[in-house]
Amino acid sequence: MIALDLAGITRTQVSGAARFVLEIPSLRLAAGEALALVGPSGAGKSTALDLAALALAPDRAERLAVAGTDAAPLWRAGDREALAALRARAIGYVTQTGALLAFVSVGRNIALTQHLSGRHDPALIARLAERLGIAEELAKPPSALSVGQRQRAAIARALAHRPALVLADEPTAALHPEMAETVLTLLVEHCAEQGAALLVATHDAARAAAHGLALRRVVPAAHEARSTVEEAAACPA
Amino acid sequence: MPGVRLAAGLALADARAEARLTLTTVLGIAAVLAPLIVLFGLKAGVIDALRATLIENPRAREIVNLANRSFDAAFFARLAARPEVAFVIPRTRTLAAQGAFAASAAADTAVRAELLATAPGDPLLAGLAVPQGRQVALSASLADRLGARAGDTVRFRIERVLGGARETLALDLAVTAVAPPASFGRDAAFLPLPLLLLAEDFQDGTAPREVPETIPPPDPARVHAGFRLHARALEDVVALDHALRREGVEVASRAEDVAGLLALDRNLTVLFVTIAALGGAGYLVSLGVGLYANVERKRRDLSLLRLMGLSARGLTAFPVTQAAVLAFAGAVLAAALALGVQAGVNRLSFAVAETGRIAAIMPVHLVTATGLTVLGAVLAAAFAARRAAAIEPAEGLRDA
Repeated sequence: MIALDLAGITRTQVSGAARFVLEIPSLRLAAGEALALVGPSGAGKSTALDLAALALAPDRAERLAVAGTDAAPLWRAGDREALAALRARAIGYVTQTGALLAFVSVGRNIALTQHLSGRHDPALIARLAERLGIAEELAKPPSALSVGQRQRAAIARALAHRPALVLADEPTAALHPEMAETVLTLLVEHCAEQGAALLVATHDAARAAAHGLALRRVVPAAHEARSTVEEAAACPA
Repeated sequence: MPGVRLAAGLALADARAEARLTLTTVLGIAAVLAPLIVLFGLKAGVIDALRATLIENPRAREIVNLANRSFDAAFFARLAARPEVAFVIPRTRTLAAQGAFAASAAADTAVRAELLATAPGDPLLAGLAVPQGRQVALSASLADRLGARAGDTVRFRIERVLGGARETLALDLAVTAVAPPASFGRDAAFLPLPLLLLAEDFQDGTAPREVPETIPPPDPARVHAGFRLHARALEDVVALDHALRREGVEVASRAEDVAGLLALDRNLTVLFVTIAALGGAGYLVSLGVGLYANVERKRRDLSLLRLMGLSARGLTAFPVTQAAVLAFAGAVLAAALALGVQAGVNRLSFAVAETGRIAAIMPVHLVTATGLTVLGAVLAAAFAARRAAAIEPAEGLRDA
């Protein structure tokens, strides 16, 4: 199954007087496939990830399919509820620092995606927590966890509802190198185990490649406020 | 509705987690709402009671003629037909309008009292048994001095000097009722008109000493020295006063007092409405702004939940649930504070109202205050939530 299928997508980002255009000519990810978007800071990796996450409206999109459902017509129709339902069903998202809700326990944070997708499976939460080494932390508030533990809880939350696609934006940037290794290993392993496609935005191409992720560059055009996600299948680390 | 239930549960968890902030919000709501509830209670307790005491007092609606005149049946019929007149009855000549009362035939002391005619519909005896035949109703002060109550019998006595000899007419009258103190402040007895006319005739020397078993109704051709009338509403007193004076009838009424009272009532109502409107509007604005700020504070969490697929309804349910719970808790605390203040104020001994209660907070005040607070809070939160629902989910990601 194709978990993510992007074609003919552009998005203009405006920040103050500055404008910046990101183009994604084509990007496909099959179930179980893992890909890293790499490139310098400001190239548009996060914007590409947000577009794939259905969190940012494209200016133009020929195809923006997630788990077999094309979201491009939904964006054109402004059907934000259908987009939200598709996100709840098909996408798991890991941010840089976990982004856990501070006012509920780690366990309730992880269960959020199951509640929102309607796929209740407490046994899966227990299993994920066990495998990610946070089984003892489920009843605690997020503030009681270390940064690495929070990131592992975020991975559990992103996988708990068995999404077709997992997106991770610089998931190791806030961690010390040893923890970064562990977290990336766990993320890749669990996605592979569940058969979820994994798309990671990272500036650390070497580490991504070392964990077996295919690489795709986001290339800024010279002297132009424009970047393009390369079409080539892979590039050397 | 799983999104709505989930969001409502998260909203309550957030309120619990931020207990200190929740408490200050609840206290803030209660601090502004409690004085408004007390104000409502004061209006009910003081202003309404004053209004009732002053405006509903039948004496305030009374008009009597001054000099003794001769008013015939046609005059009374004309007066009674006026829409502004609630009740009208003849008065006897001033000199014949007094008699002596004693607690019993054997009592040593007698009390002199004014004699007033009465009939069914007399506002001074509103709701009380109206005397007929050989019955009497007493003013509160006369009843007090005689030690008499409804159901007792009192001795009524009048005297005349006829042909150099002093003659006395004495009757035992059954007391049907004691008029409330506000109806008549002096010692007075309310008698059925035929009995009063008989007393007048006795004093004039035209009636014998022996009182017939059944007192005959008055002769329709008889003229009366005066009248007592009660206007239907307070506002009618001034108009009737002027109309009678135009007919050449000198009258005494409380027209000027009434005009002043009505102005006071209007001014008090305007004052209360102004204070309540300003206080209420300020309160709702401060509540709305506070809850709006609360939603802005939660913007990152809400956009994160939106990213995870929370529906717009769920997104709205989060701040709305929180606002409703905070507003309800604030209103309950305000009600408790206001009832406490009321208990304290009512213990102070200013007997402004007849009931002696200065503040009278009623269930309707508490229900209205709670209802408006929760409604205002929910509307403010829903307005803020609509803005939160419109933000792109990506907004919550970058600073997450």
